[in-house]
Order: sequence, then C-alpha cells, then structure tokens
Amino acid sequence: MTAVIPGAIPIPRRAWKNTSLGRFFRNPRSVFGAGLLLIFVLMGLFAPVLTPYSPSSLEFDAFMPFSAAHPLGTTALGQDILAQFLYGARLTLLVGAVAGLLATFLSVAFGLAAAYFGGWVDEAINTLINVFLVLPGLPLIIVAAAFIRGGGVWPVIVVIGFTGWAFGARVLRSQALALRERDFIAAAAVSGEGPLRIIFVEMLPNMAGLIAANFFGAALYAVLSEAGLSFIGVGDVSLVTWGTMLYWAQAKGALLQGAWWWVALPGLSIALLGTSFALLNFAVDEISNPKLGGGRLKMPRRTQAAPIAAPVAGDALLSIKELSVGYLTPTGVVRAVREVSLDVQPGELLGLAGESGCGKSTLAFAATRLLDPPGAVLGGSVRLAQHDLLALSPEELRKVRWKEFSIVFQASMSVLNPVLKIREQVYDAMQAHGVTDKAKLDARARELFDLVGIQMQYLDAYPHQLSGGMKQRVVIAIALALEPKLIVMDEPTTALDVVVQRQILQEINAVRKRLGISIIFITHDLSLLVEMSDRVAIMYAGEVVELAPAHQLYAHPAHPYTQQLMNSFPPMTGPRTRRSGIPGKPPSLSAEIVGCPFFERCTKRMPGVCDVKPLQTFTVAENQTAACFLYDPTVPSEIKDSAIRSSQTPQPEVSREPAHTIN
Amino acid sequence: MPPNSVPNTLEIVNLRKVFGSKAGGVVAVNDVSFSIARGEVLGLVGESGSGKSTIARLIAHLYSPTGGQIHLSGQPVPHKLGGAALRKFRRHVQMIFQDPYASLNPLHPVRYTLSRPLKIHGLAEKNIDAQIGSLLERVGLAPASTYINKRSFELSGGQRQRVGIARALAASPDLILADEPTSALDVSIRLDVMNLMLDLKDQEGLSMLFITHDLAGARYMSDRIAVLYAGTLVEIGPAIEVIDRPQHPYTQLLKSAAPKPDAGLVPEEIAARGEVPDLKTLPPGCPFEPRCPHAMSECKDGLPKMYGLGNGHTARCILHDPAIVAKRSAVGAGS
Repeated sequence: MTAVIPGAIPIPRRAWKNTSLGRFFRNPRSVFGAGLLLIFVLMGLFAPVLTPYSPSSLEFDAFMPFSAAHPLGTTALGQDILAQFLYGARLTLLVGAVAGLLATFLSVAFGLAAAYFGGWVDEAINTLINVFLVLPGLPLIIVAAAFIRGGGVWPVIVVIGFTGWAFGARVLRSQALALRERDFIAAAAVSGEGPLRIIFVEMLPNMAGLIAANFFGAALYAVLSEAGLSFIGVGDVSLVTWGTMLYWAQAKGALLQGAWWWVALPGLSIALLGTSFALLNFAVDEISNPKLGGGRLKMPRRTQAAPIAAPVAGDALLSIKELSVGYLTPTGVVRAVREVSLDVQPGELLGLAGESGCGKSTLAFAATRLLDPPGAVLGGSVRLAQHDLLALSPEELRKVRWKEFSIVFQASMSVLNPVLKIREQVYDAMQAHGVTDKAKLDARARELFDLVGIQMQYLDAYPHQLSGGMKQRVVIAIALALEPKLIVMDEPTTALDVVVQRQILQEINAVRKRLGISIIFITHDLSLLVEMSDRVAIMYAGEVVELAPAHQLYAHPAHPYTQQLMNSFPPMTGPRTRRSGIPGKPPSLSAEIVGCPFFERCTKRMPGVCDVKPLQTFTVAENQTAACFLYDPTVPSEIKDSAIRSSQTPQPEVSREPAHTIN
Repeated sequence: MPPNSVPNTLEIVNLRKVFGSKAGGVVAVNDVSFSIARGEVLGLVGESGSGKSTIARLIAHLYSPTGGQIHLSGQPVPHKLGGAALRKFRRHVQMIFQDPYASLNPLHPVRYTLSRPLKIHGLAEKNIDAQIGSLLERVGLAPASTYINKRSFELSGGQRQRVGIARALAASPDLILADEPTSALDVSIRLDVMNLMLDLKDQEGLSMLFITHDLAGARYMSDRIAVLYAGTLVEIGPAIEVIDRPQHPYTQLLKSAAPKPDAGLVPEEIAARGEVPDLKTLPPGCPFEPRCPHAMSECKDGLPKMYGLGNGHTARCILHDPAIVAKRSAVGAGS
C-alpha cells in the first residue's frame, strides 16, 4: 500500500521567475552583487549632490579630523576625503566598465574568429593567446603604462583592455568550437548562410551568458589592475580614483598620522567592487548554465510503504511494488514512473521496452538506488531476495550492490577509467568485497574474460586501446565479477553497431543460461527484445501497459500501443507496403492523466470509457496482462466491438493536439 | 545512361576523402561511385565509421573532396566553391540532419529558421508568412499558425524533424541528403517521417540520398541500396534485391545481425568475427577479408572490382569472379 495521492503534488505554471531574468533576481549571489554595484554607481552619479567640494581642490588644512563640514576629514594635501571617495568611484567604475568591455570585445572577436575559421587563423590566434597568458600581467601593464605616463585615464583603460583579453578569448574559443560542431551550424551553412551571419546570428547569441560572465570577470581584472597601477604610481596619479587615493595615502603616511580611513575606505571599496563583479560573474555563469545550479530542490520523503513481508510464494527474485518515481523541477513534479509493480523470477530475462521518456530507465535507476536528484522515489517498495532495497542504509547498499545485483549502462564504456589498466578495473569490485588474493583475482578475471569473449591479452591494455564493443564486454565482465543474482542492463548495446550488438547479445544470453542469473534488459528496440526475452513489459507514460511472455506478446499483442508499436517497424521481408507509425506524442508527465495515457493516439479508443475511468490492469490470457479497457469485463462488448471496427477503417485523425511538451 | 535522357540528379565518380596529412592520413571515403536518378531514393547503408556521413558532407560541400568528381544534373561541381557560386550550389542540394535536437538553433523560432533559405536564395515573396505556412503544411505541421512562432524546445522530436525537412525543402532543391533522419526519433514516429519523405519524392520528384544503419528502414525507403564498408562501396543494387538476396558477405552479415521484427522469435546465430577495422590499418586487399567467412588467399591481392550480377546489382567480391567460381567448384568436386 502506498500513500501517493494523485494530484497531491502542486504543479505551478511556468512563470516569469523561471526566465533567465527571474532566476537572476532570485539568485542571492546576483542580487547581492548587483546591489553592491548599484550603490557604487549611485555614489558616483550623485557625487555632486552628496558633497559640495571638488575632489581636487586643495583649499583645506591637512589632516583635518571628522567634522560636520568634512565628515571624513581631509588629506595630507588638504582635499576633502569624502569628495575624493565619491568622485573616485566615477573613474574607478569607468575604468572597470570600459576596460572590461574592451577586453570582452577583443576576447569575443579573437575567440570566435579562431573557432570559426580554424586552420592557420586559429593557430595564429592561439599562439597570441598563449603569449599573452604566459606574460605576467601586472609587469606587462607596468611596462606599457610607463610609456604613456600622465596621459589621463584613457591610456590606462586601453592598456588594461589590451592586456586582459587573453583568458576570456581562450574560454570563448573553446565554447565556440563546441558550438561550431553542432548540427545547426552545419544546417545554416547548407542553407547558404555566409560566415558573418553564422557567427553573429547563429553562434554569438548562444554564447551570451558566457560573454556576460566574461565581461564581469574582465571588469574585475580592470578595477584591480587600475588600483595596482595607481598604487605603485605608474598610472596618472593626478586623476582621482580609489587607486590614486591609496597611492597618496601611502605616500603621505596616512597611517602614521592616524588617518587610517584614508586608506581603509578606498581599499575596502575596491575589494567590495571586486566582490560584486565576481559575484555577478558567478551568477551569470550559473544562470546561463543551469547544470551548475542544481541540488537545491527539496527532496520529498518517500511515503512509507507497507513493511516488507517475508518472501512470498512464487519467490520472485526482484519484486517491485507500486513504485512511483518523480523528477522535481522548478515547474513541478514530473511523474516519470507511476505505481509500477513488476516481478523478476530467478534466471529470467525480463525485457523492458518503451520509447524515450516512458520511464523505463527511471524505473531501473530507482529500483537499484541509482537515482540522483532531482529524481526521487515518491512511493512503493523494491525487494531483492531478502533485502528491502529502498530502505537499505548507504553502507548496507554498498555491500549488496555488485554482490547481489549489478548494472550495465548504455554509456558504460565511459565508466572505464582511462588511466587504469583493464585488469585493475576488473579487480576493483572484487577487492572492494574482500577478495585480495592476487592469484584468485587473476584466475577470476580470466574466467570472466572467457565468459564474455575477450582475449586475455586485453587484461593489460588501457581502455583507449579497446573498441567500443570490447569496452562494453569489459563492463559486462565487471558486472558479472561477484556472481550477482540480477543484472540490470540499460540499453547496453544501443551505442554499438548491429553486428557487434548481435555478438554481445549472444554472449549475454549464453552467460545468463550458464550462470542462471536474472537480467532486466531495457531497450527501445522491441523487435530485438522479443527475440531474446522470456517476458516483455511494455511501458508507456510511466505505466507498464502490457506484460506477457515474449512469444505471446509477439504472436498476440494485446494492448493497442503494443500492436501499433510492432507495426511501426518496417519489415525485412515480403512486399513493400506503406505502414503508418503512431501519430501524436505521449502526454505530459507533469500533468495529471485521467484514464488511459494512450487514449489520444489509440486507434481503438473508447471515448467515455478510456478517458474517464481510472487506469486498471486486466488479465488477457495466462501470464498476460494489459492496462487496456478492451479487456475490462465490465465494459459492454458492443462498445469494444465498435472501437475495434473503427480501427479497421482508415486511420482516424488525431483530433486533439496532445498536451504541451515538458520543457 | 542512354543519350538524350534526363541526366541523373547526382553522379559521383571515384569520390575520395582523406582526413589528416597525406602521409598519415585516414581514407574515409575510398573512390566511391554511384548515381541517383531524378525521383529516386538511394539508400546508403553502413556501420559507424563506414564513411556514409562523410559522403553526404562531401556532396553538400561541407567538406571538400580529396579526389573524384561530383556532377549535379549533368554539371560538374568544382572541388573549391565559394561566395555566390557556393550559394547557388546550395539551392540545389539540401540536407536533413540526424538529430533534430541539435540541428535547430534553440534561439530561433520556426519562422526565422524557414525564412532564411527563402531569403538567401531570393525566393521570398511579399507574404513570406504564407510561404512558410505552406511549407509547414507540406511537412504535415498544420495548422501552420500553431507552429510558426514556436522555438525548437517547444516542439517534440518528430515535429522538429519535420521543421528540419521543411528547411531542406524551402529552397526547392533537386537533391536532398538525409543523414540518418530517423535514428534519433522514437520508433512510433519514425515511419511517419519516412512516409513524409516518400510522399515528397512521389509528389515532387525529389531525388534523395537516404543514409541509415537500419536495413529494414533502408528497404522501406529506397529504390536502390548501396552498402559501404570501411569507406569502400561493397554492394549496390535494387533495394529488394540487395536486402532479400545480399551478394556481398558483409551485407549478408549485416542482414543476419539486424533485428528482424517479422522473422519469428529465433534469432539467427552469427559467426563472431571481429569488428569494423581501424581505417588506419586496413588490409591491402578486400577490407572485409579479415572478418569474412569466405576469405581466401586471393582476397589479399588487391581491392576486388565490382562484379555485375544483372539487373543493376553489383558486388565487390571475388566470389562472383567466374575464374574463382570455377576454381572453387573444381576444389569442391575434388574433395
């Protein structure tokens, strides 16, 4: 029994707060950074209102203490410190903004040109970038600034801009290179777009976040460089900036005279302005790259399932009961798996088929405790032999994993560590479970390699020396290492070519029969699955819609989805006739689904029944169940007959466009 | 080709592409020749690394060939094209990409994506929205007003691929290069996208290069099928012939390995013999020789020629060489 109440999870609409701007204003970093910056900008703008004095007038006495006329006293040269500080914000910000813009402009221009044109242009620009990166920044600026000493603020800006672009250019170049490989760039070229338009209309807007982040980084660099330059007296010290304030305070012994605030105020402000730019840099980066911002959603606790009873009659190896799994997104919960119950018998190969987004991988991940946030188990239970898998502590889980069950993924080739020899990686799982004897490890590794059909010499190879098929075999060997009772295989051969796929499937099947292990085999390729499974479960929109022995499913598919799906594979023999796929698309899993989730696309739908009654599973034949009201004994047979008849007339039009996609 | 008939839409002769430097280069496409007639779909089948996508990109002028000729409607296409000439060429050859999630710029709405080819090639009329609308309706996205302002993330995979097809159709090309246009789509929507392309071929006489690794899909879509192995064309012929009676051992292997939805529940056992070779270390003779169950010493004597088997069906395998056939039957009789 589970306590998942349909509709209990609020599903807010996509609102402005999910736009980039909305996220900017909800991000504490960006709000704090922008707030600080705003204060400094206002200070600079309203300097003439906030102080009656000119920052450069020398009309007062030196080192005057705090007073109503001079709230922060005066400098050694008789200037008002408050006026200096307020007006100093102007030039400091100007340097930061303009030099930051200049550096960003150069970064973008060089980075994009290098990435787009490639070849010798790329090499030349890259060399230039490297030269600028290797040259120590500040000394370079000092040398450059020494030539233009005393020329006002613009030379300082130009020098900083021209020395600060290289890092950004490198970052933008690699981003642009990645973009350039994207198909939409090739598509634009095939359409006949010229290079300028491809760069500025196709590539540049996709880099906006990175460019903005880059600007704040460059502005930070510019402000600090200006302060550094002025402090050591290389800039134009007749200007009023926070940097020159520091210079004069230092030169005139402010601290010795007790006027510590003359130093502290500009120093602290530079640090705060730098903080503000750094925060904005991080925030923009985080917002434009949502992957960096995850992990702050609240995980709901799993609703308590009934206590796991002792293994029941039938003795399934794995028993999944009413498992519900969801993904928590800012827009609500996507209910990817909806109260699914499924058993796997010892030695059985259970095929789990369905299209993308049907929940088949989510189901496997949740059942094996591999689901990462934002995914969460919302209810149900999973029992493997005597273990309640969902209730195990991480330590208990570690003991059970690999020994009782193991997992092989689609991209598991990338699971192999490129710098370790295959041998060490095969040993790893066994060593973690207490096998340490070298001779035993070696013997077991050889045995495993023999099982999956790899030559022994590859034990001492590195992963890059193996083909994709070989790597996948190694991963399967590792999964077999501790003789688990169950292996979950999530599209283990999808990334491989057909011939290699076939070879590996043959090996998987042979190993399974020899060792008597159970396998859950997940794939979208139904035609493959019926060839190799004992039983097949078909998933659609988070539900198991049909479950039957493979031969039964192949010969007599019961659910209209299964029937239509089987008909969607073009045949390899016989005359060529037009077939049709399944128009439409699955419903949104973030909405509540009333009745059958396949209703919209079903050729045998019964309006008034299928879209009204809560979905139920019915027994169709021995060992075959389907979640379809055609098999509901309480539905009058004339309604069923007319639905089946209408499916034999030409395809009905899909009248309603299904619910919006999940974004 | 008989004289005075309509020239083939595409004719490639000994097309060659070597990546990397000339000394350590990798021959991705090894002297491939084929043609596509007007209104014909040629299926190009092969595994990853066989060079099928490279061929499409060579024809689309996204890469420039190392050698060989490309003729478009009888006109030779120079290896180096640029500026206005390239733009003019693009009008005639368009491409549909594999992954509709990657081939549409996420920032642009459908209207922008479809307006560009019309504008670039000077085909835009005053009421460009009506033109875009009829394009969308031609690819089954009706009513057009539902889709014209959407951006790609608001569309499903099948709808995106239809937008990709509409973009390829916009310039009214003679030839469409479809690079695995359905392999990123769900099974249930693949057929409808294939049917759409077949309809376009039937109704508008488009020529198509249909690249796929799925034999059943190639059989469904194509008039003729060409099979590539390690950059080399190994078999070409009428689609039904090639799939139902494959004549090259590699095509036979591909067929036996493919999942057969209609062949019952007994999978065919295949002889496990290695994987696609590294293009850098190809054997001197037939590239398939190391894996071939029929391999013999003569296979190493250089690349076999294409042997005609009648009905436009040819295969690059010396098993079809009359001398070898005679020799083998003599050995067979003797033993």
